[in-house]
Amino acid sequence: MSDKRIATSKVAGTWAWAMQRLTAVLLIVLLGIHIWASHFADIDPEETITVAGVEARLDQVLFVVVDYSLLAMVLFHGLNGARTVLFDFDIFAKRKKMIDVALWVLGIATLIWGIVVLFPFIGVGGW
Amino acid sequence: MKVSGFKWLFGKNSEFWPTNMKTGMWAWVGHRLTGVLLVVYVFLHLSFLSQASLDHLSFDELMAKMAQPLFVFFDFLLVCAVIYHAMNGLRVVLFDLGIGIRKQKLVFWIMMAISAAMVAAGFWAISVLIFGGD
Repeated sequence: MSDKRIATSKVAGTWAWAMQRLTAVLLIVLLGIHIWASHFADIDPEETITVAGVEARLDQVLFVVVDYSLLAMVLFHGLNGARTVLFDFDIFAKRKKMIDVALWVLGIATLIWGIVVLFPFIGVGGW
Repeated sequence: MKVSGFKWLFGKNSEFWPTNMKTGMWAWVGHRLTGVLLVVYVFLHLSFLSQASLDHLSFDELMAKMAQPLFVFFDFLLVCAVIYHAMNGLRVVLFDLGIGIRKQKLVFWIMMAISAAMVAAGFWAISVLIFGGD
């Protein structure tokens, strides 16, 4: 398994490795802001989450930027992490190109889905 | 090394058999398991938020359901997974910067001590919602 892991790190690539570290550090900061803002700042902890409550937070452009950045980075970090896990198995490592294309398609589709998902809270799109 | 089937994963000769695993391996296995869990959660999170596009009232009802103690306890488990993954991930980043590799076990336990403190703080913040106020 040890030889295989060295081989795997070559399969994964330097660019992906560097981005994984960069997003890791940024995610800690962004996730901290996200959890704090949505559950603790100016909120009674016993108050449940409502559309109105989320709307009030997302009235501030800063939090829209935080949430969308978080979405993009979490998708990259999560799917790139899944890619690393998959490449530890020969059947997937042999199909590197196919896995890469599939994960990019899934990532971009989910990014678009995630952007649309916040529209009702931001008030864009007429809901 | 040619890996065929799942023999490398199970059995007493596997490097993943509990008594064959050392600190670094436990850290790695934990990182993978929490990683997979968190990816699944992101998709669950987005699908729950999708409810708001259908109807504001049903989203509010769904969130009220999620405020029940059992689901808040799941939230706490999620927080634990995030904290472990973040703190062990920071350890990996430090090693990649050339910091602490030779003391990897010590660094792991320092990170786990920080994690334990964060989990305790998280539990304190969340406990009101699990056990009720007062």
